[in-house]
Amino acid sequence: MSCKDVNVSRRSFVGQTATAAAALTVAPGVFLHTVAEAKPADQAVTSDVRWGMLIDTAKCASGCTACVSACNTENGIASHNRPRTDQQWIRKVTLRDKQTRHEISLPMMCQHCESPPCVDVCPTGASFKRDDGIVLVDRHICIGCRYCMMACPYKARSFAHETVDNTVDYVPRGKGTVESCTMCVHRVDEGGTPACVEACSEAEHGAMIFGDIKNPNSEISKQLVEHGGKQIRADLGLNTGVRYRGI
Amino acid sequence: MQQFQKRMHNTLITIAGLALLAFSAFVFASPEGKPSFAPEVPHPTNGTTECVEPEDDMKKNHMNYLLHQRDETMHEGIRTKQYSLKECINCHVPKDSTARFGDNQHFCSSCHNFAAVSIDCFQCHMDRPMNKEASGSKALGKNPHGAQMSKPVSTKIASTSADATSTQGSKQ
Repeated sequence: MSCKDVNVSRRSFVGQTATAAAALTVAPGVFLHTVAEAKPADQAVTSDVRWGMLIDTAKCASGCTACVSACNTENGIASHNRPRTDQQWIRKVTLRDKQTRHEISLPMMCQHCESPPCVDVCPTGASFKRDDGIVLVDRHICIGCRYCMMACPYKARSFAHETVDNTVDYVPRGKGTVESCTMCVHRVDEGGTPACVEACSEAEHGAMIFGDIKNPNSEISKQLVEHGGKQIRADLGLNTGVRYRGI
Repeated sequence: MQQFQKRMHNTLITIAGLALLAFSAFVFASPEGKPSFAPEVPHPTNGTTECVEPEDDMKKNHMNYLLHQRDETMHEGIRTKQYSLKECINCHVPKDSTARFGDNQHFCSSCHNFAAVSIDCFQCHMDRPMNKEASGSKALGKNPHGAQMSKPVSTKIASTSADATSTQGSKQ
């Protein structure tokens, strides 16, 4: 193949790409996004997506616990009125700068790390990360040793000390195992959004955005590009899937 | 004398054999041709007549199907319904059933009690179909990942009495 031929084919390639890009543009400023659809039920999750969250602490109201109660309702988590041992998948944290007395409020839950310490320490393989970045506990394998609870820098995991009698069929939970935020994996697999994000939106705060951080066209990616998103304890190098603004 | 003993022996064997035959006919042959002392396993009440696999296969291999499905769902997010425990329950346990796992009337325990096989599925999983209306999952799949759900956002900064770094929420 001559040098000229190569140039021609490259030119035509560039031309085709430009045509394709133009086809995606309906009108100036209006773009056709890939419609996010639920994956077919019989297909495994892939590492082509990574689910993440972006939380804007400026929008998170300090008295509001809509995300916490939505999580509890969704996952059938009930209090036994024993705060030290009650399960908790998401909690509200208030941070106050002692010098400036500036306060920020934020929801704290499993940060769905890329390199999760809970997975490193699990002796049975019950703590694992799905290909799409969601960190879960396989309760079928969990022996309740609680190493993961000790390893987690975010205090994100809870142990079920007591018989769970109010489970819902899509989130089976039971005594003697560790549990934490699943990013509402049962919803996500069906194309839904986590309950906390939905509740935050319904409460008209809109402080939480959920989406695929590997897809440059997703809302979360655009926001991350524009505003950035900090990791809590970035020094640990865990590359968390949950990012915060304004901390 | 020896001949008499031998004849007696043969007669006894014949009588014992006949008795055994009669007993087995009594025990094993119920009117439907099923073993009469085996438990009556409740059949689906929703009009379904065929299981996901032939009945004999399910009797023998249901545990393998469930185990395989369990790992696929948990680790790979494959949520097909064919071998899902949830679908077994949805089909075989009537919605208004009061039978719980452990009762002889419950689909799973009817047989497991009889066979003395302990399972711990229902320490976590629901042993009856869930009342979907009472579920917290109100918008499954209704808010696609990509959609921007935010209504007009108003930034509400409520005042708080927290005076130091504190945790609030369900652990209060």
